Amino acid sequence: MAKWGMVIDLEKCTGCQACTTACQMENNRLPGESWQDVLFYTEGKYPNAQMKWIPRPCMQCENPSCVTVCPTKATYKTEDGVVLVDWNKCIGCKYCMIACPYGVRFYTDEKPLIEPNVKDVFKGDGDLTWNPPYKGPQQDNTKGIGIQPSGVVSKCNFCYHKISKAPKGTVNLSNDDPALREFVPACVRTCAPTARYFGDLDNPNSEVNRIIAAKKGTRLLEHTGNKPQVYYVTGAGAAGGTVIPGGRSSKDKA
Amino acid sequence: MTTQTQALGLVNTIMMASGAALLVSLAFAFTNLISSGHASFNTDSAGVTWGLLIVTYVFLSMASTGLAMVAAMAAMFGARQYAPLIKRCTWLSIVTLVAAFATLALEMGHPFRMLWAVPLNFQPASAMVWMGIFYSICLVLLAFKFTKMHGGNWSGEGLTKAGFVVEVLALGTLGSAFGLMAMRPAWFGAEVPLLFLACGAVIGVAFAVLINQLTYGMDDKAMPEKVRSVMTGSLPKLFAATLGIYLVSLLFRTVNGLWTNAEGFEVVGAMVTSPWFMIEVIALVGAFVIMINPAMRAVGTMQVVAAVATIVAMFIGRYEFVIGGQLVPLFKGAWVQGLISYTPSATEWMITLMAFSLVFAGWALGEKMLNLAAAPDDK
Amino acid sequence: MNILKLEVSRRRFLQATGTVGAVGAVGLAGTKLAGFSTLSEAQAAAPGASAETVITKNVCAQCPARCGIDVYTTNGKVHAIYGSYDHPISNGKLCPKGHLGTYLLYDPDRFKGPMKRTNPKKGRNEDPKFVPISWDEAFKTVADRLNVLRDKGESHRFAFLFGRGWGPTDVGLYGPFGAMYGTPNAPIGHSSMCADASKLAREAQEGFYDYHSYDYKNTNYLLNFGASYLEAFRPYNYLMQMWGHMRTKSPQTRVTTVEVRLSTTAAASDRALFVKPGTDAALALAIAHVMLTEGLWNKNFVGDFADGANHFKVGMTVAAAAAEAAKAAKAAAAAAPAVAATAAAAAPVKGKGAKTVVLPTPPGAFNEKWTLGLVEWWDTVVKSATPKWAADITGVAAKDIVTVAREFGTTRPAMVIQERGPGSHSNGTYNCMAVNALNALVGANFAEGGVMHHSGAPYGKLPVDYNEFKDDYAKSDDRKKPRIDLVKGPDLPLAKNGMQDIAKNHLAGKPYKLDTMLFNMTNPIFTAPDCKVWEEALKDIFIIGTSPYPDETNMYADLVLPEHTYLERLQVCADQPIHGYPQAHLRTPAIKPLYDTRDFADIIIEIGKRMKGPMAEYYKALGNHENLVRALAKGFEAKPGSNGVNSFESWKQKGVWFKTPYAFRQIRGEFFEWDGKAYAKPMTEADVKYKLFKTISGKFEFNSNLLRGNVMGKKKAPDGSYMKTADGKDVMELQKKDTDAFINKKLGVTLEQTGFPQYIPAKYTGGGDLHFITPKTAMNAEGRSANIPHAIALQQPSVGGRTTVYLEINPQTAKAKGIRNNDKVRIKSALGTIEAYARLTEGARPDTLVLPFAHGHWAQGRWAKGRGPGHSGEITANQSDPLSGLASYYTGMVSIEKA
Repeated sequence: MAKWGMVIDLEKCTGCQACTTACQMENNRLPGESWQDVLFYTEGKYPNAQMKWIPRPCMQCENPSCVTVCPTKATYKTEDGVVLVDWNKCIGCKYCMIACPYGVRFYTDEKPLIEPNVKDVFKGDGDLTWNPPYKGPQQDNTKGIGIQPSGVVSKCNFCYHKISKAPKGTVNLSNDDPALREFVPACVRTCAPTARYFGDLDNPNSEVNRIIAAKKGTRLLEHTGNKPQVYYVTGAGAAGGTVIPGGRSSKDKA
Repeated sequence: MTTQTQALGLVNTIMMASGAALLVSLAFAFTNLISSGHASFNTDSAGVTWGLLIVTYVFLSMASTGLAMVAAMAAMFGARQYAPLIKRCTWLSIVTLVAAFATLALEMGHPFRMLWAVPLNFQPASAMVWMGIFYSICLVLLAFKFTKMHGGNWSGEGLTKAGFVVEVLALGTLGSAFGLMAMRPAWFGAEVPLLFLACGAVIGVAFAVLINQLTYGMDDKAMPEKVRSVMTGSLPKLFAATLGIYLVSLLFRTVNGLWTNAEGFEVVGAMVTSPWFMIEVIALVGAFVIMINPAMRAVGTMQVVAAVATIVAMFIGRYEFVIGGQLVPLFKGAWVQGLISYTPSATEWMITLMAFSLVFAGWALGEKMLNLAAAPDDK
Repeated sequence: MNILKLEVSRRRFLQATGTVGAVGAVGLAGTKLAGFSTLSEAQAAAPGASAETVITKNVCAQCPARCGIDVYTTNGKVHAIYGSYDHPISNGKLCPKGHLGTYLLYDPDRFKGPMKRTNPKKGRNEDPKFVPISWDEAFKTVADRLNVLRDKGESHRFAFLFGRGWGPTDVGLYGPFGAMYGTPNAPIGHSSMCADASKLAREAQEGFYDYHSYDYKNTNYLLNFGASYLEAFRPYNYLMQMWGHMRTKSPQTRVTTVEVRLSTTAAASDRALFVKPGTDAALALAIAHVMLTEGLWNKNFVGDFADGANHFKVGMTVAAAAAEAAKAAKAAAAAAPAVAATAAAAAPVKGKGAKTVVLPTPPGAFNEKWTLGLVEWWDTVVKSATPKWAADITGVAAKDIVTVAREFGTTRPAMVIQERGPGSHSNGTYNCMAVNALNALVGANFAEGGVMHHSGAPYGKLPVDYNEFKDDYAKSDDRKKPRIDLVKGPDLPLAKNGMQDIAKNHLAGKPYKLDTMLFNMTNPIFTAPDCKVWEEALKDIFIIGTSPYPDETNMYADLVLPEHTYLERLQVCADQPIHGYPQAHLRTPAIKPLYDTRDFADIIIEIGKRMKGPMAEYYKALGNHENLVRALAKGFEAKPGSNGVNSFESWKQKGVWFKTPYAFRQIRGEFFEWDGKAYAKPMTEADVKYKLFKTISGKFEFNSNLLRGNVMGKKKAPDGSYMKTADGKDVMELQKKDTDAFINKKLGVTLEQTGFPQYIPAKYTGGGDLHFITPKTAMNAEGRSANIPHAIALQQPSVGGRTTVYLEINPQTAKAKGIRNNDKVRIKSALGTIEAYARLTEGARPDTLVLPFAHGHWAQGRWAKGRGPGHSGEITANQSDPLSGLASYYTGMVSIEKA
């Protein structure tokens, strides 16, 4: 069984947010509900100000704190290393949102970011929160795939409806192999500068492991011990630098 | 029958007022919840996830444990002088816990699913699960104990002791639910359960003081001898002691937050400049000054002033703790500028009002129907 | 095995893969993809009839790039869009806008069919009170109106405005309609509100009026003047692919970006130079100055001094410098005669063969190779354009200019890219020329890792020629009326379009008043500078809108003839300059039209059929849009694409025809053509002039003949007829136009200098104390996403604009004006006031305010309307570059105050 992991090369990332929109459309997310977000930070003073950005999917941690806080085991880790939410078990206590160090989780019953509320414009069937006219065919509540029912928490699932159908033994899940393209996560598939790589972290020969080694991959907030399965690599580029400015610097800015 | 000289007028007034408030707040909250669900809250995935309702839940849970502590003073520590307060405090502990659960239920996406999903998918690593278990046991033990007392059976100190232990575990686990969160430094720490217990003690004692004073119209002459004895003797001293302990913790937590450069504590800096913090400090120090002054602490009205001030201040303090721990944005980039801003919505306030109304209405109802003044030596 | 839980019969599966096999791999091979079928199946499967997911090829419509897209449809519902693999632009990738395209199909605010206005009053707050009508009534209403106008001899009062044109099946129809109908105003494109300055600059210098194609893959240095490479520059998706490549290849491509703010592009570059708006030319000239004085120009391409010495000396003409050098040499020779004599004899021999030795070269002689007028340009303009001089004008430190010039001059291959940043100013053409001149200095033209001129696709001919359907009316001299935008007249002799002036001209009745206007893919009532003038002007014109969305134009429309959205179209998309080699793209409908809309070509054809006179016959002969596409596809039969496309069917299947590689290459100063295996066929100077540098000189002109008024014209005999050669061709001769006098009058450039790239101070408008810059965001580059809630929520990630776009202001400036983060502010110019919320950011120049362009709709649908902030166009003066006619969008000055 593969242990799926992702590498994001910040030297290549252009901060375009195509990963975000590809994800939102593939996974029927609400406006502003960015399972895969791109975060921008500005520091320094003109003319030597710097702007940097970082794409942030779910880290699919090896030691996911969201899984251990979940009172109903609705959030769980699959054998192939992905953290999923079972919407049929989720009680909407939001403890996982509190416990996630990376802010990747979303509760659906909130004030809409953008008015008019798309939930009112495209009303959902039954318990589903909405029904976008472009809704995809996939729906699996037990894995948190598809349209979200009300009162539950959702998150990036590495496009589990795609990757779980990849042939057994797939090591590098990339566009390079025409036979595998349909199984590549939306964000990886569309990334124009090819800043994302996806594959098996358990296979020492995988492309992800090669890049992690060659470009000295790092993980965010190592001190929490969550051990993300999403690695960042960087070079000398301005988009580089995996140190995320924290609240102290943002407070000074305000 | 005891010759009760309770201030039934005041109890009636409080019952009417809190009943009315309960109806209004319920109507308002449910109208909004039915029409727009949790969208009527100002909580937000990109902002504060646990809002005012969790503040209220935490506060009332602390009150419940605190009241249970007061009720267990006799059994646990042999402080017999607290015996006249046992039944009332036990009842109040039940009422506050029910109000807390009601608030929590309204905050959850699927409260009924919880009833089967938690036991069927038992997750031993989740503090929330243990908290739920301990508080459920508390409720059962309290109800059992109260039923016994109501039936005139005052025996069973073991039951009270067990209840006390479970209460401590419950509130400690609630503290731990926050204290385990290493990713939210303003919450993190093994001492947080202890802090919660200290809070519980302060709030519980404040409630015990307030309610007993209200029961007797703030008139110690109206109190039975033994009640008067504890209300002018041990209880205010206990109040002073718990306040003192809490003030010390507040002082050092504030200094700690202001001093440290660690990420996540900048919220303390923002907090101390808020007028709410001023109110909190003034109220607590005021209450403490009243309670350490032997002349003042014996006066009923002063006790009520100190108790109300403490309850308000402790509520502000819980707000600061629960909300403050979430105000440093985690991976929100430029979407969130500076600290997260959060103001509870009208619906959230109404649910909090509902919870407090429930406490006071529940108490008043109990006062009228359940002979809360009963005490072991009344036999 | 079955990704979508679908059972596909073996027969059907074999059919699908068989089709793939027949035309070459589409990337759908293998049993894992059994749930997917190819296009031929897509057409066979009626929507809703089968649970299969089908993929159709289309072309994204959210910017001009022409990204090929795979449209996923299941049960008649389009649910995903991804970039097409094996497509030369998208390569399986997309930009952030691309994925949101399904919203444009399912936009709940779309028109469901043709509409007629019943409220005669027009205005922002006037409900048009549309009532549905039949298409027949709609076509008849338009045709009757146009016929009446023509009967009155006023057909010029009909104007046909278009914006994002796609190709021969839409843009290709405008011109014939205008020609047969008899109006000079069909069509008027939007290019003057786009980027015409750089195009005119290339025409002036390279004889090529278009955008460059760029070989990003092989360049090692990218000097970017104000192109939003990582936001809105075209083709965004491909540019990002190239960014990933450039930033990780060996050696890494070094990028310097000249910008007026800390854009994503500037932030990601190795170096950002923050330039004062409108002063790009000064910076470019100073870079040229350093490169010339330090001998860093490409000598293979440009040429060199005959004596091998560098006579570009700061502040001196070449002649003066050479004379001084000669004097010094003489003095040295006097000191050491033997050595000097040897040197003098040897110098001219170098690399030139024995022939040149015979001719004594004057001191400072420069043997120019593929350029024209370098020394004159130096003497007139560049010699005094020192870094210090430019630093004072641009605000960029002199030492940074020197560093960039050295890097740029010593890294090969290197190239310059630019667009609206330098162009959208009153001095836009000269800015763009100065920047473009740097390409010639490094020899980037047609070189590997350089810039190219793109080539067109070999479309088939239409079955009929519209010229044969012109009647006497259309041909009469009376029809030679000035255009409503007055281009090609005395005020705009060099401009190609002037759309932004139409409202103004109509209101003034100069040259006349319009009667009827048809709009397609353009919305100047919202996007034009000083757009409120349009709201007045369009009140008394009969407006025909063709957008399927309730945009501002349609709010003024008397008739709405909604065209299909792009996922419902069969439409040809001609290529844009990208790779240089020719491409032809095709949209294929993913589903049957959702509503009662029409293909745009059919709208024109159907109106045409109802016109009086022979033009109706032309349109009857065309028949419908599919005939057009089929006729165009015929051209590929003789010239199959590199991907095997050679017919209408195979074109639909692949979505694109293209022919690699690019045909030309300049290698170390020599030009070659592709001979099928390599760039090995040498080109003569005449070849280069005919095929590449179509200037009078056949070279890259530092001293532009065009701007000096020199043109090649047909030679007239004394009797006034055109002279013909023996084989019947026109005799061409060098003629003089008064372009130089025009430039002198408009810009104050002396008559001798009009041909040179130079710095002229920009004319700032609006009267405030701060520059007002209105860039395009990545999520809204062409404004197509205004009504997409998901796009709105991601609009301005750099400063967190997710419910509105923010005004970006430097904290220092904000402090001085008493403005704090998130404050509501008023931005004022001489034209008026708009409101916005402020975001303090160190990415803004202290003298510049930044508010993204094309936000603040007052129509366009429920999410766009009234969202705010105020629209920048309302306070941007309608000033144009007098040469290119390009609207000066970035030239505004405003003041700001707390609201």
